[in-house]
Amino acid sequence: MTAATLDPSTAPSGSTWAIGTPRLLAGLDRYGSLDHTAHIATHGPLPPTDRARLTALLDAIALVGRGGAGFPFATKVRATPDHGTVIVNGSESEPASLKDRTLLRRTPHLVLDGAIAVAAATRAKRVTVAVHDDAAAAAVRRAISERRDCRRVRVELVGGGFVAGEARAVRRALDGGWAVPPGRRVHLTQRGTLLSNVETFAQVAVALRLGPHRFRDTGTHAEPGTTLLTVGGAVAHSGVVEVPLGTPLGIVLSAAGAGIPQAVVIGGYHGTWLAPQLNAQLSHAAGLGAGVISVLDGSTCALGELARVTAWLAAQSAQQCGPCRFGLPALARDVAAIVRGANPTAALHHARAVDGRGACHHPDGAARFVTSGLHVLRTEIERHQAHGGCGRPTLGQLAVPA
Amino acid sequence: MQSNLEIDWTRCDGHGLCAELLPARIARDEWGFPLLAPSAVPDDELIDARRAVALCPALALRLETR
Repeated sequence: MTAATLDPSTAPSGSTWAIGTPRLLAGLDRYGSLDHTAHIATHGPLPPTDRARLTALLDAIALVGRGGAGFPFATKVRATPDHGTVIVNGSESEPASLKDRTLLRRTPHLVLDGAIAVAAATRAKRVTVAVHDDAAAAAVRRAISERRDCRRVRVELVGGGFVAGEARAVRRALDGGWAVPPGRRVHLTQRGTLLSNVETFAQVAVALRLGPHRFRDTGTHAEPGTTLLTVGGAVAHSGVVEVPLGTPLGIVLSAAGAGIPQAVVIGGYHGTWLAPQLNAQLSHAAGLGAGVISVLDGSTCALGELARVTAWLAAQSAQQCGPCRFGLPALARDVAAIVRGANPTAALHHARAVDGRGACHHPDGAARFVTSGLHVLRTEIERHQAHGGCGRPTLGQLAVPA
Repeated sequence: MQSNLEIDWTRCDGHGLCAELLPARIARDEWGFPLLAPSAVPDDELIDARRAVALCPALALRLETR
């Protein structure tokens, strides 16, 4: 396996690199960011498509949404009626994730290609690209102005915190409401809205050009193709990385220049703590989520890191649902007490008490994050119980927004 | 046909009336919010369940039949 380094010096917002041949990130090493001319030179023109051809392609490549939930995209396209709306969800509210912003800022035409293709297949009336930051909005608007097939495409800046990136919350924000998830379980496709993550659309654009057979040249049988990761924490080369699905975690960690990891968090702050199993294959089925990989080395207090993120998760509650509003702060206090030497019983109890009891998956994700962390860090917990701490500072290797 | 109690968590304020009316199916957590029994509502409890739904002061309790 070769580590083809895309030159970080041309990267305006964090470095990008790849293991194997980059597909989504193709051309970034040469061009920095791809305007329409560079995009066509790199990827070639977008083949036309329709509903039957697109769903057959999506079935053949088993594409799942890349926003974290991993829902089969062909099923979503099939469930979307004609004449609806396509929403490209670029909110990327996962704090450690940069992949969607990188695509929007540096290769926006690939994302637009995918959105235009899906809009054509579903005869959508409108395409909306929902973004959280000005730089992404400006890059996409500039890209739209460079092409003639984007008259139905608009860019919307939507604000808000962690739960504002949830699919139904994005839809609500675009409708002029609060960017928080609604209480009733209404599927967006029932309302004629097809929403997916930025990377999903870029994958569609790549797949249309490669066709199913070449798309399957890399990756695994169950999950063909590549995926984007955002690698951060205690690594020498943090940034957005494109890897074949099924790549062993250890390959990514050594390419990223990680030292000896103490623990790894996969899938962001709704994700899972792992003891560093270097042969674990990265896959959506194994909880890759939106592709965030955060590395903690031995210099930081891992329990302190867990407590900091848990406090942040509690602060991100939309305050709509009782178990989340009261349960997550209780959970955060419990984890802070563990750092001071308490036993984990109360935290495990409160994690169970919030799990599955909300309008969105924020409490479930927080519960999974804390429960898996306490499991991986059980010897750390014993050390903190015996000595009231581990003597190491909490370095913030798991970044949380200020 | 199966009937399940569901809660709109964005509406529920934890009044606790449902737990009083359906003590066999609904308990309360330490903050007063309902904890539902995971199973479907049996036919002989449907009348009580509908009454609890109708009396929920926040309109948060629903009986979903599918």
